[in-house]
This record gives sequence, structure tokens and C-alpha cells, in this order.
Amino acid sequence: MMKLAGGCSGVICHAVMTVVIVLVMHCSAGAGSTQNAVPLPERHEYTNVIMISLDILRSDHLGAYGYQKGTSPQIDMLASQSVLFENAIAHSYLTPVAQMSVFTGQYPRIHGMVSFEVNKDDVSKRTLPEILKYYGYETAAFASSPEFFMRYDTESGKIVNPKDIFSRSFNYFGRTLPDDTGSVRSNPSGALDWLKVNKDKKFFLWIESGMLHPPYSQTVPLPYKTRFDPPMYTPFYEQFPIRLGREDIDRGVPTEVLFHVYKGDYYLDFEPIHHLTDNDVNFINGRYDAGVYYTDMFIGDLMRQLDMLNLSGKTLVVFHSIHGESLGEHGYFFHHDVFDTEVKTALMFRLPDKDQAGARIKRQVQGIDIMPTILEYLQIPTNHESQGSSLMPLINGDDAGFKGSEYAFIDRLPWWEYVLGGWHLEHQSEREAQYTPLEMKKMNDYKLLLQEKIGGGQYPPQCIAIRTNQWKLFLREKSDLLENISWWNFISGKKFPVESVELFDLVKDPMEQKNVAREHPQIVEKLKAKLLEWDALNTKNRAAVRQGMPLIIPYP
Amino acid sequence: MSNQENQNEQMLINRRDFIKYSAVGAGAVAATMALPGFMLGNAGAVDLADLPMKYKDYNVVFVSFDALQAAHVGALGYRANVTPTIDAMAKQGFNFTNNISVASWTVPASMTWFTGVYPSEHRLTNKFSVFNPPNNNVLSNLKKLSPELVTLAEVLKQNGYATGGFTGNAGVSGGFGYSQGFDEYFFEKGKFGSMGVSIPKGLEWLQKNKDKKFFMFLHGYDMHGQNVPAEGFDYRFVEKGYDKKYTGSAAEQEALREEGLEKGAVALRDSDVRFWRAIYDEKIQRTDARFKKFLEEYEKMGLMDKTIFVLTSDHGTEFHEHKRFDHGFSLYDELIHVPLIIKLPKQKAGKLIKDQVSSIDVMPTILDLIDVKLPEKVKKQLRGESLVPGLKGRDVAKDVFFETDYRQYTYKRGIQTKDGWKLIYTLENKNRELYKLNKDPGETRNLVDQEPRIAYELEQRIFAHFKSIGHDLNAKQWIPGLNPVYDSQAKGVSKK
Repeated sequence: MMKLAGGCSGVICHAVMTVVIVLVMHCSAGAGSTQNAVPLPERHEYTNVIMISLDILRSDHLGAYGYQKGTSPQIDMLASQSVLFENAIAHSYLTPVAQMSVFTGQYPRIHGMVSFEVNKDDVSKRTLPEILKYYGYETAAFASSPEFFMRYDTESGKIVNPKDIFSRSFNYFGRTLPDDTGSVRSNPSGALDWLKVNKDKKFFLWIESGMLHPPYSQTVPLPYKTRFDPPMYTPFYEQFPIRLGREDIDRGVPTEVLFHVYKGDYYLDFEPIHHLTDNDVNFINGRYDAGVYYTDMFIGDLMRQLDMLNLSGKTLVVFHSIHGESLGEHGYFFHHDVFDTEVKTALMFRLPDKDQAGARIKRQVQGIDIMPTILEYLQIPTNHESQGSSLMPLINGDDAGFKGSEYAFIDRLPWWEYVLGGWHLEHQSEREAQYTPLEMKKMNDYKLLLQEKIGGGQYPPQCIAIRTNQWKLFLREKSDLLENISWWNFISGKKFPVESVELFDLVKDPMEQKNVAREHPQIVEKLKAKLLEWDALNTKNRAAVRQGMPLIIPYP
Repeated sequence: MSNQENQNEQMLINRRDFIKYSAVGAGAVAATMALPGFMLGNAGAVDLADLPMKYKDYNVVFVSFDALQAAHVGALGYRANVTPTIDAMAKQGFNFTNNISVASWTVPASMTWFTGVYPSEHRLTNKFSVFNPPNNNVLSNLKKLSPELVTLAEVLKQNGYATGGFTGNAGVSGGFGYSQGFDEYFFEKGKFGSMGVSIPKGLEWLQKNKDKKFFMFLHGYDMHGQNVPAEGFDYRFVEKGYDKKYTGSAAEQEALREEGLEKGAVALRDSDVRFWRAIYDEKIQRTDARFKKFLEEYEKMGLMDKTIFVLTSDHGTEFHEHKRFDHGFSLYDELIHVPLIIKLPKQKAGKLIKDQVSSIDVMPTILDLIDVKLPEKVKKQLRGESLVPGLKGRDVAKDVFFETDYRQYTYKRGIQTKDGWKLIYTLENKNRELYKLNKDPGETRNLVDQEPRIAYELEQRIFAHFKSIGHDLNAKQWIPGLNPVYDSQAKGVSKK
């Protein structure tokens, strides 16, 4: 391959020492060649990359991030071998939107993956796997979130390789098949076999799991499924079924049940019929944790496979969550907003030589920083279109060398109500979903309301947030509109207020319970200015109406 | 094939063929036989190795033959004898065979000689800095756009030089600020003027200033599509039997250019292309003869041994190689590969320098040669490097960058590596063209898909380069617009 002319870039010079050490190791292991002036190989010539992306994973439900319930022994071990980022932030609550930022290093508005209806030609093509292909990487994916199987065959279970938004960058794009429960959201264990077959290639392997998505624990088998259930517990929704005569099989905590819970009450026919007890909340959390535990077992299998195939020493492992999940902290169990529960993510890098193992970095970093980090590690020039900054200086202990912003920016893009109107409500009738006849009837009006407010060219602007490790500011320019079209206000039959400006002190109030905007007007002004500056600089795809019908059912 | 056609075929050699030959082309050999007297009887001539390379207080004559494509210069391998005078000077001087201009049209390219910065930085990238007709049009002007920049003429003036510019107006009009630093700057408004006018003006000035040390900028549009010889064409190179569909007029040239801009391609027959090249050759030969007369007058003043000559061009021109006509829109080799000849006082033996260099290096080279002490501000300003080490035999080859925002029809940026890779990036649509010039000098096979890594890395280089000079290409949106250059385009224009 041609070496481009020009000076030694800072990146490459910086890495020379490490390469020398690697070379020495290679020589002693090899034939002991004493050739002079051997060009130093760059890391991308001999380093594999595995990216493990877990959807819906809250970092604070992992032992490595302080959780005490023993949900993640394997991930904790991986963490002890890795550099861990304590404050990593995703740019959206929506899976493909947030993940595309990781793959491109761009804010969602810029990469263009801003809803399920986008035209693939409008989305950035230069993703991490695409760039790695230029450098001779075999690229393979195993995904289990249907969000990534966009617009291709989810029914037949056939593995196909179309050139679509996520799949087009991969030589192989594998997916999970529906299990006994009919869900594809299971551990992507096909990756283990792929590794066995492809261990001698230089590869980029993306392993994505949607296991944690509601219905919580649906695809987790017994006995793991009930591992964290409160003893002798019967789910409240079985005592108060939404519709009578439905099958009585444990498919996890049903999504529609979660969609009837708001601020501690379970609603049917727009009336609170049950106040959730601690046990109820513990049960829902327990079923979520069961998913974490079962995922963790898979991560253990994966790490053992790497060891067995002698790949650990030449593979960069990047572990992250795509986004989090609100588990009742803000009244609901789901993800549709920009709270930390939903956008704070786990992030760790295990370097092949386990350099800096166990380091923990407090500095706030963001999804857009991940791609530049991997490229810098591999000694590949960073794509100029990327808006993030390499974390390698932080990893190497050079805090001053980190060029990233001290602010993270989060976009509620698309509005969840837009997604909701586009698929969820449409498909309730087809699936005979669990809604009461009265709810179904009123849902027609709600659907019309959504169509009128956000379907007909009134796609509302600006629901954005800015975050530091201490403060987080939300701007909801159309808070009154949000109030009117809120699902939770619909299903509860109430008008819970939505505030247009919210400020949270993350140090005192990490769960963002108390809006302190009035107490800190100067901080509000300062952060608001920064946020609006970012908003103005990133105008592309901001609050645009997406035409056309949804082409996939993201949450079957 | 008739003899005439055969000859035309031979003339149309690949622009880079000369690299394959160790000697200069036949044109230059022929040129030595037509040498004016002054070039033979150069008493006190100095061998290459003995040249001092320091010429404090010597004169500088800087000549721009506007729109002279490298491939039509005998000293660069062209086989027709149309540039005997230029070739003779090349043979006695340093002949840079791979000099690449920073832009493909006059306004941005020429200001880089005089400021030592890229067009993005001096900001003369279009005729109007604001174009909002009918009432809000602001002509681009160096002092307004980049008040902090110091010009070559200003530095020389500060160092006691008399400074005179004698030009054909248009793209190097004083109104753009080209006159900045010149004691006298000639440009005839409304004209794409000829050296037939600018040379006599220059000689007049020389008569007054020949006893001082001076810097002279001499320029003319004689080879340019918008200039026709005052005496008319004699069609000396046109093949017999051409059906005279075209006559070689400025209006025809303009119509072809506009057709290319409008449709992306011009419909021309091979015979038309040969005709236009023949017209071009006639223009070049006539210009060369005018320049010869200038040199004869110059020698009569006894200034030859006290003068550094720099001959170059701001850009080339295209003859349908890539389906368009004229220049400005594209960044292909026919548009940015231009001659650069430096002849030092008393230099007798010439030298071919094949290292790839850029027009950004011209200003630092001149300043280095005349050995003036540079203010810190100017040192910091200059983006290029002095080519004097190259004159001494050292390797000065470099990767070069170029750009065009021609009339806001397009926004293109490019890089050409010294080992022959070239990437052209079009900002408004992210289109990329990758060429391997030593295998594909005509830039006909886009290798973006075959060589994705090289394309990727060169793209990063382009963006890093512009970012490093303060122009983050991602920081703005590139939307094609309208920014006329010619009066005919501005008439009745209403902005959408």
C-alpha cells in the first residue's frame, strides 16, 4: 500500500514508542530477523477491533459502575482489564440515532439518521466499519435489535446482506432469529462461531444486543429470568389485566403494561387502578436486571472465546451502551427523553496489551468521541467529518491533550411522539395489543392529534439538552405542545405539566428530580447560550418533517 | 492522415511526456537556433555551481503570460516551435517542469504570487465579495478583504525598490488591490489587454527607473481566450480544410465556456478542438515574439546582468480534455500545471528541476533571492517555501494544494502529492476524483472506488490543510450561487 507523502503526523509520532515495543516482541517471537530499517507497522496493520454495543443498558446497573446486585460479573472483569469512562453521554434516546453517532463521530442532525423513515442516501455513509474496510479490515456485524435490520426481511428469518443504512458498511451483516417467544432480541451468539472461522483475518466485528429492550426479560430463559424477582411475587398486571382472556405466558414485562404506568400509578381506561408498591417496582427492575445478567453471561462467553482463539492480545475491545432506560425515576419505564437515565452510557476500551487496565476516567465524554478514539488508536487519520475528539489522550493520562468539548449535547431527535404516531399506534390494532376498548377508541383521536401536530409540517423544533458533569440544562421550546401530545398525559387522562427550561444539579441530584432553574439563573443563561450556539452551528436535519411511511416495525 | 493532421497529432503530446524524456523537447532545441543576440553573447556568464544565489539590490522582472498551459511550452516538451524566446530563457535558467498553480483562474491564482498565501486566505476568490444585485455589489479588494496581508510589492518598496506593474487589467485589475505596493500600476479598464500595450508602458517606465533598483510585473492576456491579436489571426497553424465553424473570436470562446458551465459539457468535434489549439498556438507564438522584442529593448538598457527574471503563468486553459472549455471551473492538470522559469543574472547554464512545486512558493523564492530582511509579520504570512535550495540542487518536491470557487458555480479543493496522486474534492456535492497522474496523465480514470484508502487519506489531507490555514471547510455550507466575472454575465442579472 502506498504511503502518502508528507510529514509524520502527531498521532503517528506519538505512537512510535509503543510500536517499537510491539516490534521487539514480534522479533523475539519470530525468526529473529535482523533486517535494517524495517518500516514500523501501524497498528491498523495488525489490530482487530470488536465493538460491543448493548442497547438500553444503564451503566448504573453494572457492578463496574457501582451496582450492588451482582448483575454483571463478566462485564466487571472486562472493566478491570479496560479503561472505563464514568461519564459517557449518548446523543439521543433512540437506538439507531445514537449508534450512528458512534459510527460516524457526528451529531445526529449531521449524520442524518434521525428517524426510521430516512432515505438511506441522506445518511452519512462514512462509518467506522466503512473506513476500516479501506484499511483492509474484514467487517462483520451480529445485531439483535431490529432497529438495525431496517427495511429488510425480519419475517422469514433469512440472513440477508442488503446495502442499507447500517448493513452497507459490512462485508457480513448477521442478525438474530426469532426465538421461542417470537422475539429477535436475544444474545447475538452467532458472533462466537464467526470468530472461530475468521480468527486469522484482520477484522472489525460489531456485536449488538437488544436483549434489554422491553418487554423486560422476554428472551431470558429460566432460571435466569426470575433470578431477581421479589420472592413469592405475582405481577400486578396479572391481577389487573388490561384485557381479559389473553394468554398466560411469561413473556417478560409487557411493553403495553409499561405504557400504562405513570408516576407510580397503573392506569386503565384513563383511571389509576393500582398504585405501584415497592415490590412492583423491584419486580420491573428485577426483570430488567435479569436481562443484564443474561447479557453478561454472553459477554463472558465472548471474552473466553477471544482468549481461546488467542485473539485477546491483538484485539481492541470497545464496550458501550447505545443508550439507557428510565426505570420509573421520571414516572415512566421506557426511553423517550434526554434524562441521564436514558443517555448516560457505559463506555470502556480494552487495549490489546491491556495498557492502563483498571483506569477510570471521570471527565465527561460523548458518543461522537468513540470513532476518533478507535481511529487514533489504530493510527488511521480521523475523518474530518467527525465532530468528536479522540479519547486517547485521556486514556494515556494526558488530560490537557484532550481536545474534546467540556459540554455534551443531546437531541430529542426525533420527537418520540413522532415515532409513536408513526408505528406504535398503527400496529396496535394489527397485533390486538393490550388496550381496552375505550382506550382503543380514544386512541384514534390521539392519533389524529399526533398527525395534526407533528405529521403535517409542524414537526416541532428544539427539545435539546446540554450537560457537564455538574449541570444539565433542558430546553423544550414547545413545552405546551409536548404537554398536549404527551402519551403519558393521554393514557392517564391528566395534564402533567411540561416545563420549557429545566436545570439539574447532577452532583446533588444525579437522578434529575428537582428543577433548580429558578435558583441558578446565571448558570441557566450560560448553558443556554452554549446550547443555542451548538444548535445554530448544527442546523442540518434540525426539526425537519420526514415524509413517507415507516418501513419497519422497530418494536415488534 | 494528412501531413498537417500528423503534425497536429505530434503537437498534442501528453502534457507529462516531457518527464519521460531526459532532454527538453524539440521545440526548445529549435528555439536555441532562433536565439536573440543577447542570449549568445552573455559576457561574464557564470557556471551553475558558481552562482551566488544571493542577489541583494538586483532587479526583478516578473512576467505572467496569462493562461499559458504547460503543455504548450516548448521547454516543457511541446513539439511545435511557438515559444522560442521563453524556451531560450528556460534553457539558460531554472526550468521547473512541475509547477502547479494554486488556482485555475486569474483572480485567485495571481494574488497568491503577491501575498504568498492561498486564495482562501487572501480571499480574492471571486470578482465580487458581495454580490446582491442590483444595488449591493461589492468588488473584491485585497485591502478590504485581508487588510493584514503585506504584498510582495510592498516588501520590495520598503526595501527601496521602484515598483511598477504593467498589465492587461481584468483579473489583475488595480481595483482588486493588485496595485497595492506599486508606485505605478497600469491596467486599462474594460480590457483583457495585450502585452502589445503593457510592454510599451513598461518600457517607458523602465526608461525612467532603470538606474534605480526595481521590481517590474509584466502581464498580458495575449494567450487568453478573451484577447484576439489587434492585427487579427492569420490562422498559421489551422489545418487546411477546416470548415470554419469557428473563427477564434472572444465571443465564441465565451459562448463555449458558458455552454460548459450550463450543461457540464460542450459539444465540439475533434476538428474544432484542433482548430482552437491552433488558434492558441498562434496567440502564444505572437506573444512570444512580443516578449522577444521586450527583451531586446531591455538588453539595450544594459540591465540583463542586473536582473532576475521569473516567467510563469497564473493558470492553463482547457480544450475539451474534460468536456469543458476555457478555465476556472475545474482543477485538472491542463488548468493548473503552468511554466515557472527563473533566470538569474549572468546565468548561462540552465537546469531542469522536476520537483513538484507550487505557485505559493514564488513570493518566498523572490524574497530569498534578493536577500531582503523580512519583517516577522511577512515571515509568518508566507505559506510557501523558498525554492532557492532547489536551485542549489536540493530536493524541494512537495505536495501541493489548489482550489477554485469559480463564479460560485462550484467549490473545489485539491491536493497533488509529489509521487503523483491527485484528489479533487467538490464541496457542494462531496464528489471526489482520484487520479494517478504518472499512469493516467489525462486524468480520465477516477480511482476513488479502486483506491478507497488513498482517496480517504488525501481527502483528510485536504481538509487538514485548509483547517490549518484557518479555513475549516466543514464550518460552512457550500451552496452554488452566482458571482459573475464578465460584464455580459452581470447584465440583467437578478439573484434568485
